[in-house]
Amino acid sequence: MPSPRSPWQWLLAKEWRELWTSRAWWLMLVAAGPLVGLSFINSVQMYAEMSGLNGTADGVGQAFSPLVGVWAPTFSAYELIAAFLFPFVVIRLVGGDRQSGALKLELQQHLSPRTRVGAKALVLLAAWGLAMAPAAVAAVLWRSYGGHTYAPEVFTVVLGHVINAALTIALGAAAASIAEHPSTAAIMTLAVTVGTWVISFIAALQGGVWEQAAAFTPPALVEQFQHGLIRLDVTLAALTLVAMGLALAAVWTRLGVPVRRRVVESLSVLAVAALVLTACTRARANWDWSENRQNSFSEPDEAALLRITAPLHIEAHLAQEDARRAELERRTLSKLRRLMPNLTVDYVSRTTVGLYEQNTEHYGEIIYTLGGKQDTSRMVTTEGVLESIYALAGVTPPVENDDDMFRGYPLAVPPRHAAAVFYGGWPILAALGLFMTQRRRQ
Amino acid sequence: MFVPPLLTVSGLSKSYGALSAISDVSFHVNTGEILGLIGPNGAGKTTLFECLAGVQPASSGALHGPDQQTLDAHGRAATMFYVPDGIRPYPEQPLGWVLNFALGFFGGHRERARRTIEQLHLVDLLRQPVGVLSKGQAKRAMLAFGLLTPQPLLMIDEPFEGLDLRQTRETAAALREHADAGRTLFLSIHQINDAARVCDRLVLLSGGRKRGEGTAAQLMARCEASDLEEAFLALT
Repeated sequence: MPSPRSPWQWLLAKEWRELWTSRAWWLMLVAAGPLVGLSFINSVQMYAEMSGLNGTADGVGQAFSPLVGVWAPTFSAYELIAAFLFPFVVIRLVGGDRQSGALKLELQQHLSPRTRVGAKALVLLAAWGLAMAPAAVAAVLWRSYGGHTYAPEVFTVVLGHVINAALTIALGAAAASIAEHPSTAAIMTLAVTVGTWVISFIAALQGGVWEQAAAFTPPALVEQFQHGLIRLDVTLAALTLVAMGLALAAVWTRLGVPVRRRVVESLSVLAVAALVLTACTRARANWDWSENRQNSFSEPDEAALLRITAPLHIEAHLAQEDARRAELERRTLSKLRRLMPNLTVDYVSRTTVGLYEQNTEHYGEIIYTLGGKQDTSRMVTTEGVLESIYALAGVTPPVENDDDMFRGYPLAVPPRHAAAVFYGGWPILAALGLFMTQRRRQ
Repeated sequence: MFVPPLLTVSGLSKSYGALSAISDVSFHVNTGEILGLIGPNGAGKTTLFECLAGVQPASSGALHGPDQQTLDAHGRAATMFYVPDGIRPYPEQPLGWVLNFALGFFGGHRERARRTIEQLHLVDLLRQPVGVLSKGQAKRAMLAFGLLTPQPLLMIDEPFEGLDLRQTRETAAALREHADAGRTLFLSIHQINDAARVCDRLVLLSGGRKRGEGTAAQLMARCEASDLEEAFLALT
């Protein structure tokens, strides 16, 4: 009698069992609790102190947002997990079949390599979902303290970390399929991770193309999502990279195909991915889902800026490592870029530090050109920049309404029971799971 | 009545750069027979099996099915199943689940399962993870895995490796029973006596080339040898 399940269902069931009995996954689960707990406990404690706990400066944190104060730091633990622990789980699940000889058996079932790799990716994504349980526990604890939660911004943070995990899955799967041995795959994966850090480092020093490339690295992706910002270009680029990694894995699991053909197919995948990535960078849609609109100007300012349709050019004479440039970029230009598609920005400097350029004639100047008119200013604050733009455009600056300001959600409550849960309960439960699944091997 | 071969291999070659592992090997596998692939270590037996099964690319050559159609990847998957030597797949999973997976994933015959498991003395091991099985137990487990798959041709690399004399005989009997039930077996065996006892016909491989093909008697007659070992030594 034939099996009521399809080969695909059998494969999925097998991958799930392989994950469930994987020590690497259970160890990652054990570590996830304390890592998330440490971030959560520290952030809640600081949030409470800023809100006036133990007689500290009550009111300093009046404008505190749970996104900035709690969710971003709590979830940042998952960046560590995705970079240093999850790759080993991925490599174990993908490379294990090759090591044990199971791949040679399974290749004889005529399933497409996409199906094979897809089953592993699905199971690994589910594994990541389970590994995010400590964050869910943190959310429950936060609510039990009376903390405020704004669902769209929490969703955005979670989405960012899920996409980051998908990138890890794709990278690990590709490395495990290409490399003969899991240790080689681990080195390849870590090399790519370190490579993205190098890009970010060079971007900080050199700017320019490096800065554009750094915006698409996993740390930059996660950072944007942690600020409640969903950028279509970055999201599409990340999904393209995920598809590319999985496609490479599918190409290289076919042991029966000559290596030369696999190399050609890999180059084709890379070429297509490069084309799609280039197209992705043209997508401009973005959504600020943070409750305090930290990635956007105030609504009246946005309405005023949207009335300006002429191309705006900004030439900032600030060196790459000048703190004023960072402030200008982070607080104002990044928001302006999202709003004004006709904006172009050029940074001009002869050095990366700028220290020895301070006395040169134009250093520190920001030159605005709009509709044939020009204005020069040295102010890097949002108010200063907008003032120059409004003046050039002949737009009356909107009147700020204090009622619309984000007031924040101060909470002077210490992280009660969190240490017991994250440092005690969770690791014990996860270790018990590890013990139960491994006991049969003794 | 003429029964066309289940598998015809024509001009199969495999090289690794300048090194030729298999060179222009041609032979056929008849339906219902037990064909043995014999040859000294390094003859290219495993490489030949892996190229036939499609888990390693051949440099050249073609495979044809009983209708003389060239076998593509799909046809190959429908015609043959290959059990490699020395593998220990799914080491964390209980043997019972692994055999069930073989039946489910490859669409094998569930009614054969009990008999095969009993023949290979695996009943008491079904709850054991594959990773803790001894070498001989793992070999029998992999034989069962292969025997439960549905393809008409089963290729097994070194089916008796790691088995003691009693187990070898019992396994040989089990293989013969499956062949009698209609399964075609192609076994790579480096022990000449085992091959002579189990196989209906033999393909002799040495240095990547086919040195002979036929029954043991035909091979012995070809070099006027008194037994198969002598023929083996004379031909390789």
